[in-house]
Amino acid sequence: MAIDKSLLTGSTTMLILRLLEEADMYGYQMIEELNKKSKNVFALKAGTLYPLLHSLEQKELVTSYEKTADNAKVRKYYSLTKKGSSHLHAKKEEWKVYSSAVNDVLGGATFATA
Amino acid sequence: MQQPDKITQYLETVRQQIRWKRAQPVVLEEIKDHLTDLKSALLEDGLDEETAADKAVTEMGDPVLVGEQLDQVHRPKPDWGLFALTGVMFLLGFVVQFFIDSILKGTWTFEQQIAWVGMAVIVMLAAYFADFTIIGKYPKLVFFLLCAITVFCCFFIGQVCGAASYAIYPLLLFPTAFAGLVFSMRNKGYGGLIICGAAFAIPALLSMIVPSLTVFFLLGVSCLILLTAAVLKGWFNVKKLSALFILYGSTAAVLAVLLLMIMGVGYRADRVRVALNPSLDPNGMGYMGTTIQRILSHSQFIGSGTQMNGYGVPVGASDVLTTRILPEVHTDYLLTYLTYEFGWITLLAIIALFAAFIIRAVILCNKQKSVLGFLTSTAIISTFSVQLIVYIVSNLGILLFSPLSLPFISYGKMALVTNSFLIGLLLSVFRTGELVRDEAETVAGRHNPFIQYDNGKIIIDLVQPKSS
Repeated sequence: MAIDKSLLTGSTTMLILRLLEEADMYGYQMIEELNKKSKNVFALKAGTLYPLLHSLEQKELVTSYEKTADNAKVRKYYSLTKKGSSHLHAKKEEWKVYSSAVNDVLGGATFATA
Repeated sequence: MQQPDKITQYLETVRQQIRWKRAQPVVLEEIKDHLTDLKSALLEDGLDEETAADKAVTEMGDPVLVGEQLDQVHRPKPDWGLFALTGVMFLLGFVVQFFIDSILKGTWTFEQQIAWVGMAVIVMLAAYFADFTIIGKYPKLVFFLLCAITVFCCFFIGQVCGAASYAIYPLLLFPTAFAGLVFSMRNKGYGGLIICGAAFAIPALLSMIVPSLTVFFLLGVSCLILLTAAVLKGWFNVKKLSALFILYGSTAAVLAVLLLMIMGVGYRADRVRVALNPSLDPNGMGYMGTTIQRILSHSQFIGSGTQMNGYGVPVGASDVLTTRILPEVHTDYLLTYLTYEFGWITLLAIIALFAAFIIRAVILCNKQKSVLGFLTSTAIISTFSVQLIVYIVSNLGILLFSPLSLPFISYGKMALVTNSFLIGLLLSVFRTGELVRDEAETVAGRHNPFIQYDNGKIIIDLVQPKSS
């Protein structure tokens, strides 16, 4: 299912940071992982991912390093920084408030019609 | 072979959107890796070459849009804080020189300095826009070119007061060139460390020929800092502790020998003792130090100092101090003079200004991702700081090392231009540092050039490794 783009960009940062919380990854890996985890709902375009990753790196939320992967190719791995980790927690809290508010409204409406 | 072209075309379109040329290769590399990964995954899924490339490109998204977004993220980032501080230093130098000139009357120092400020700004901008990675790409060339220039200045350009003073300025650039040399010794082990030590001997020897003990000290401190930093980063790929032991052991040995040489000669040992405590010989070797400390003891926290007697005339009027007591006040003893004239607060303010600059620079230096950027900025910060510290200490009356210059403020055309060049280069590192990668090692194993030249043979490799 294609999700409206604007809905994605706001939370994409959060999703990327969440992925990196588990392990350091390179860009291609992140997209694969995101597809898998979200059961293909978040089909993030690589074209969106890299500018985002680079700006996160400039904001020092993530940092990158080069490492030779299994197939002898040098990859640019990204890893979450301390600052990124606390940013993620703040975002998660924000998201909880937001989603529960949406659920309240939606839930409330169903309750009224029932 | 149509398929790679699809990807090449895509990359080219992305590249065209990124205005900052230096950012292009770094960014494209990653996008290219991604496309090849994607393509090979699709090939594994059973698609044919062309469809795989097509699909990979489509999944990546509109290249113009991607390029534009990357362009927005990757803009050169000048550090305005450091720019502002540099501006303040220039301005302060301007004001101070104007003030001193108005007292000295007829020396034309201010007019000369102004002409050179223009030159210094040009040099600074040139260094700022230059590609500092040249230091890391051609370290030996840079190093030996600098050696040649220094030797030329040492032996073929006129001497000032029995010293080849012009050679001091190329020598001030050595720590920066040394940074490039250290950078080129990646994974070279103890051998690399020894080569660095041997290379250091050249400028060290030249500084003795000048002779300038201050420059020798500056080179020693800066290069030691650089090597320590490189060892701690694991750059030589040796055991850190034993490498540091070798480094500091040999430094201590050299120092011990030098100290013996100095202390073995009676009058030199006396000089050192008097430098540390000028009152031992107030009318001889300790004269300058005693005078400075006397001036300072008459200085107030705010406002001009109290009257001093014993110089034939009561010292109170500023021109007496500058013309009769402190020689070359606009070059060597600015801080002593300013402290007496306006109070200790002036000295503290100037130290605060420089400290702010150095602290900001150190913070940015530690953020450098590339070792080349890190080493280059470390070298420059160290060159700058040692000059500053030596100047301050000597202006407090401890004349162990004679002052070189108070960067940007004291009079001296070549010092001004040299420091401007260094600071321009430093700002250049901070502007572009995020894009610099230390690829020297990995590239070699990674790129398999189609045509290689090796040991007199031209090797044409027709079997290129698959890009998977």
